[in-house]
Amino acid sequence: MSAVELSKLNPEERHKLVSLPVNGQGLKTLLEAGMIWLKTNQQTVNRLNVFPVPDGDTGTNMVLTMQAAFDEIETSGMENIGNMAHAVARGALMGARGNSGVILSQIWRGFARALDDEPVMDVVLLSKALTEAKETAYKGVVKPVEGTILTVIKDIATQAEVSAQRTTVFTDVLADIVQAAEASVERTPDLLPILKQAGVVDSGGKGLLFIFEGMLRFLNGDALDKAVTEALPLSEMDLEDAMETVEPGQDYEVVIDFTPHQTFKLEDYYDDLSKIGSSIQVGEGDGIYRMHIHVPLENRYDPIDHTMKLGTIQKVMMENLVAQMDERKNNKNPKLNLAQVQPGETAVVAVSPGAGLSRIFASLGVAAIVQGGQTMNPSIKEILAAFENLPTDKVIILPNNKNIIMAAKEAASMTVKQVAVIPTISVPQGLSAMFRLIPDAEFEENVELMNEAIHDVETGEITVATRTVEIDDVQVEKGQVIALHNGKLVTSTTSIETACEELLIAAETSDYERITLFYGEDMKQSQMNNLVDKIRSIYPDHEIEVHEGGQPHYQLIIAIE
Amino acid sequence: MSETEKKHNELGSILIQKDAIASVARQSTLQSYGVVGLAPKNLIENIRQLFKKDAKYGVDIDFDHDGLLIDLYIMVEYGTRIKSITNSIINSVKYNVERTVGLPVRRINVHVRGLRISNMD
Repeated sequence: MSAVELSKLNPEERHKLVSLPVNGQGLKTLLEAGMIWLKTNQQTVNRLNVFPVPDGDTGTNMVLTMQAAFDEIETSGMENIGNMAHAVARGALMGARGNSGVILSQIWRGFARALDDEPVMDVVLLSKALTEAKETAYKGVVKPVEGTILTVIKDIATQAEVSAQRTTVFTDVLADIVQAAEASVERTPDLLPILKQAGVVDSGGKGLLFIFEGMLRFLNGDALDKAVTEALPLSEMDLEDAMETVEPGQDYEVVIDFTPHQTFKLEDYYDDLSKIGSSIQVGEGDGIYRMHIHVPLENRYDPIDHTMKLGTIQKVMMENLVAQMDERKNNKNPKLNLAQVQPGETAVVAVSPGAGLSRIFASLGVAAIVQGGQTMNPSIKEILAAFENLPTDKVIILPNNKNIIMAAKEAASMTVKQVAVIPTISVPQGLSAMFRLIPDAEFEENVELMNEAIHDVETGEITVATRTVEIDDVQVEKGQVIALHNGKLVTSTTSIETACEELLIAAETSDYERITLFYGEDMKQSQMNNLVDKIRSIYPDHEIEVHEGGQPHYQLIIAIE
Repeated sequence: MSETEKKHNELGSILIQKDAIASVARQSTLQSYGVVGLAPKNLIENIRQLFKKDAKYGVDIDFDHDGLLIDLYIMVEYGTRIKSITNSIINSVKYNVERTVGLPVRRINVHVRGLRISNMD
């Protein structure tokens, strides 16, 4: 049966499928409900992964393991629960995927062993089976790690034993188990520090919780086809970030504050909203809900109409995202945290071709930035203006481009301040020099250190040829990707990737330790990811860093040191 | 050579003993689900283990210029899916060794030397 079909069954039909005490067929239905609920919430579990190991996602692994177990029994007519449980265990074993899948298969194996030859299962037997499941699961590892699915099955077994003494009602025991599992999952970060660091609960434990919760929801008459959704605390709603990801066609942002009626169900609300738009977030605080959504122009009133049916609206905010995005683009005026120099200290002025690079220079302690680069050389006046008002009379200029050194020297000669121009011909040279700056050291010492530093780094640049030409014995066609090593043309090719590879070879990268890539405004994040993977596979021993440079024309500026 | 050189800069070199890497690999293996113990690589090791605890017991570390080569000799719980378990071991040992030691792992071979039967179904 599908999730929807199972969800549609009325309580009477449900209890006909799972007669109590539970027999083989009943177990089959419960297992299916558990599997379906896990599948419905699969992505929630997947998102909890903390280890960047290619083991696959926990949610997916557990679903596939459960599916294999269910496939084994789907057509079986067995009434005996012992036989049915053994079939489940067999299926789970054969189909176990990933770590969590293997543990899950051990849980079913132990569960089945306790039910050997039993025709039906009451609460006492359930408790016994869960205890055996726990023991089998723990036997599979020499050094059990707590704060994982193992801890959760242990807590489940402990609770089942207590509950089975208190009551004989199957659903009551199951409800207790689910509650204990929930608490246990919540506790996992306290037991396993890596979870706490990542701010998540254990994924395998959460998956196991969903399996038991699915069984309970089925018996309680709850739906199994809508994932659990939790409202975020209002403070955690990230509307700024949501702005950054505007999907094409979703032109309007609507934010609604409302107080829901008694009958309000968050799952349904999410479900309805997802039919209207995207980037949905729902937050809650002090009984007030805040909803955020991106919708196409023609649907911009739908979220309001819909929410009005479910609660009392207090406030609506609507914004035209397209207009806002345009404004953002034009308003390229990032706040820079420039160094505040004291009188007598050395101030550095850097010429930067992009917003990202400006931020990096600022973070390294630059006191003033002049916008400029290859095709937009700043004037002498602009450079002069950048340092004339600084409260110190000791200034170092980093032109960071061959064509700007002259202008910088001119500016230096036009002031009464003591100015030194470090002849950096590239951004990497400028950055390398910045690393040596000691603000309160002697001016001459800084100049000397920074002059030395520019030879510590190899510069690579990747750009697109604007005309057909032959330089440095390399034939370049207009539109081709070219790579420059310390200003000298290395190669002309068709892809950024190849250009990069050849550049790194020309720069004798193997003799260095670190590759830093600054990507330009024309580069996409996805392109960068592929490129970095590629470079990493060629230079696995190198440290590779990627920063947004934001420079025009140059797809990449590369520092090799 | 029992030491493997990691990196060197103008101030000096970092040398890591194979035993140290073996300990990391060993811990990580023993924490992997399904592993019930390490197994001797050969008869000599089996006998030596009787007298002296050895960090490299059940673990073999080697390296070339492309990275580390790790061999693991393990015992597995009967009734578990060996393919999934060994995959997980490879993933977590690679992750833990690379993270803590800082050297790339080129290859991990897992040798299942036997099964422990705690329960027959």
